[in-house]
Amino acid sequence: MAAQPKPLAPEPQNYLEGGGLLGWLTTVDHKRVAVLYCAAALVFMALGGIEAMLIRVQLWAPDNHLLSAAVYNEIFTMHGTTMIFLVVMPLEIGFFANFLIPLQIGARDVAFPRINALSFWIFLVGAFFLHLGWLWGGLPDAGWFGYANLTERYFSPGLNLDFWVVGLLILGVSTVLSGLNFLVTIVTMRARGMSYMRMPMFVWAMLVTVVLILIAFPPLTVGLIFLTFDRFFGTHFYQATYGATPILWQHLFWLFGHPEVYIMALPAFGMISEVVPVFARKPLFGYPMMAYSLVLIAFLSYGVWGHHMFATGMGPVADSAFAITSMLIAIPTGIKIFSWIATVWGGSLRMTTAFYFALAMIIEFTLGGLSGIMHASSPVDLQQTDSYFVVAHFHYVLFGGAMFAILAAFYYWWPKITGRMMSEGLGKFQFWLTIIGFNGTFFPMHFLGMWGMPRRIYTYSPGLGWTHLNQLETVSAFILGLAFLVMYINILRSLRSGEEAPADPWDGRSLEWSVASPPPAYNFARVPEVRGRDALWVMKYGRAGSRGVAMFMAGHTPPMPESQLAPPTEPIHMPAPSILPLAIALAIGVAGVGLVIGEWRVIIIAAVTLFVAVVGMGFEYPEHGRESHDPDSAPSSGGVDPRKVGLWAFLGNECVFFASLISTYMVYKSRNTGSPGADILEIPLTSISTFALLMSSLAMVLALAAIQRNDKRWMRVWLGCTIALGLVFLAVEAYEFTHFYHRGLALQTNLFGQSFYTLVGFHGFHVSIGLLWLATLWCASLSDRFDKLRALSVELAGLYWHFVDVVWVVIFTLVYLMQQVKGA
Amino acid sequence: MSEATQTIDSHPQTEAAHHPGVGIYLMVAVFLVVLTVMEITVFYVPALKTVIVPVLLILAAAKFALIAMFFMHLKYDSWTLSWIFVFPLTIAALLAASLLMLFAYLSHHLA
Repeated sequence: MAAQPKPLAPEPQNYLEGGGLLGWLTTVDHKRVAVLYCAAALVFMALGGIEAMLIRVQLWAPDNHLLSAAVYNEIFTMHGTTMIFLVVMPLEIGFFANFLIPLQIGARDVAFPRINALSFWIFLVGAFFLHLGWLWGGLPDAGWFGYANLTERYFSPGLNLDFWVVGLLILGVSTVLSGLNFLVTIVTMRARGMSYMRMPMFVWAMLVTVVLILIAFPPLTVGLIFLTFDRFFGTHFYQATYGATPILWQHLFWLFGHPEVYIMALPAFGMISEVVPVFARKPLFGYPMMAYSLVLIAFLSYGVWGHHMFATGMGPVADSAFAITSMLIAIPTGIKIFSWIATVWGGSLRMTTAFYFALAMIIEFTLGGLSGIMHASSPVDLQQTDSYFVVAHFHYVLFGGAMFAILAAFYYWWPKITGRMMSEGLGKFQFWLTIIGFNGTFFPMHFLGMWGMPRRIYTYSPGLGWTHLNQLETVSAFILGLAFLVMYINILRSLRSGEEAPADPWDGRSLEWSVASPPPAYNFARVPEVRGRDALWVMKYGRAGSRGVAMFMAGHTPPMPESQLAPPTEPIHMPAPSILPLAIALAIGVAGVGLVIGEWRVIIIAAVTLFVAVVGMGFEYPEHGRESHDPDSAPSSGGVDPRKVGLWAFLGNECVFFASLISTYMVYKSRNTGSPGADILEIPLTSISTFALLMSSLAMVLALAAIQRNDKRWMRVWLGCTIALGLVFLAVEAYEFTHFYHRGLALQTNLFGQSFYTLVGFHGFHVSIGLLWLATLWCASLSDRFDKLRALSVELAGLYWHFVDVVWVVIFTLVYLMQQVKGA
Repeated sequence: MSEATQTIDSHPQTEAAHHPGVGIYLMVAVFLVVLTVMEITVFYVPALKTVIVPVLLILAAAKFALIAMFFMHLKYDSWTLSWIFVFPLTIAALLAASLLMLFAYLSHHLA
């Protein structure tokens, strides 16, 4: 986008300098946002670590009552929730991906900088929300996967689970926004010459991860919405007493939950794929297969959720299918492991702390993967389910895999991020403490699990033979805690008095090492042109990789390209700061509090604030959104508008959201026993609203055609028609709902009522959002500045509107016209 | 919306040139109306009860495709956009089919 409000001065200035506190609160610089994520995640990592220590202290001895059973439930729930949502994901996606994706692809920022800042602030609000129980009614206590119907109001009447449900919904918004942003950035903002098969493997891993985020989070969102309805509005989505099934939650949760494992693992794979070649001084072995295996892992990961549910009795066919897919996923994962080993093999190894952690990750993650294959066999899994064997497995995957990779990444990229080196001595001390502590804590859990120790028990009887291994684990856990203390000391030491880092301290291979450490706010003085895979290596040594190794062996310093270290020759336009992302996030937080305490006035005030802030963000810089004819903004890659890519990706995400709602409706319609049922639906009435919505889509495209020929008058007429027809649709829906209510069908009446109102109501909500968007556009079109260069704004609103229409096409068929058809 | 300096815009003239004209839009709308009338007819004709599911699914898919391809311009825009939409759409369809089959088994088994 060409027009930007605040050009930077041409002199180099690193991104950490200037701005003060307000500068950080209003920043939209991807590097600063990344640092904010890092700071928050490190705080939560300490908190989650303390929770882990409390768990281990409690299990030190049999019949220990240091913690009550209730408090123990809270501690392990928050430990899992914190480590997954507030530590591993923010560090991998919020911190490293945020910082590195633009730098590695040769871009000056992410595609939507203000939305990037918004993601962080929403994340922070969601994180605080999860912890509000410290002040109000206790912490969540139903486990990180919050199985129904333990989470229902009847069994958990306090506010603690309300905070958990709403907190996770808020965190989900943040993650999806980040996912959309990174997807668009990678697809549309790669430097000239950086084809997909030249991208650094970390960028590949993030591309696949964000796609996974976009298809994995909607089922969780839908599951949480049902739970919210159960807890706040008296529905019974998960209560067997009313004909519903708690198994629905398990399906929706694990449809998210297993891909979530790979959402945490794939960035780790990407990190290791960056660290290993640099310290082995060899190109990554089997680059294409590494990329394809990422895609295959992601695809398969969406089809293995059932292996978490073998014990629920899904039947032999389903069990076999999930067992096969779960075993298949070991193949692409094995490809990655062998590729890393082959990269190390025969390399000129430099045994840095980062490399230590990378090598350890390969070993520890493989151990976790091997126990994972055991779970793929349903008969074996039945023996291991809910035992400490499972706890051992997932800690080897998530700590041994994700956390070890994060630690490698910390030591590898820290000099680039802060401009300071970390102490290698302290790093290696931390490494050995981590290895001893980690394996001492989690390896014995395999044995305890096989000996029958269930997970989540707050104490155990003496004489079961579990005491000594539990004591070994507790001692080891404290060694692990000490390791992280050493890391925090190393971080503080580096920030205060660490040796200054050069631009390329490791003789790196990717573009981030071509700019100063820390990078200037604009990243690249001149946008680089990429001539091969390992872009910087090619710049330094040419295409022949062996030449670089020969120079290294001979002790020569590589020739560093100077172009990026020189100051820019002309002003570089960068996005201006904005306070609105923070304001929007706060409004979301206030709305959440209003929901939990049942204060509708608070919710309404927050919703109005939210609407004003969102619209304000749209109009914050009037030049934004205008099409550019500047030849300098010609496509360097992708060739498609980032906003369009973002909207289409969002619509893809919405497809999965509505699929989850629709399939729930189909399932519950068939299980519905009470009256009224689906026969209450009236086709003639709904046919009218269906025609109205279809014709509104026609009016919408006519409005677009009008603005494209610069005919503002007719654009406003057709836009007005679209709005009017949308209002007709909503009016018919409102009449239908009222009519059904008077005939005895309320939201809480039966399974049909709750699933019908939720599905159709959410569609109506989307129509309302579309109408607000169109009305805002109509008002904006009154301005003289609104001309054909704004056609894309109309097209984007139109895309959303047409999507609402196609969803209704599906709903009209499956819900109304197939009302007599028995489903699941 | 998008703010970073390096984002890429395709020029509006090019976009408009690639979009269908008003005539095509009107023709698509006529098709949509006809298909919807056919759907409603299928609902009311008792003889079609045995094939109502496949017929309605095909009609709905046709309407979906018409809107996506012509009104949403997928037929005219970059393949990248089609991939970005069709992949999750396929996943969504698989998800729905899987859940329906799993619960169908559960219901049958419990019965």
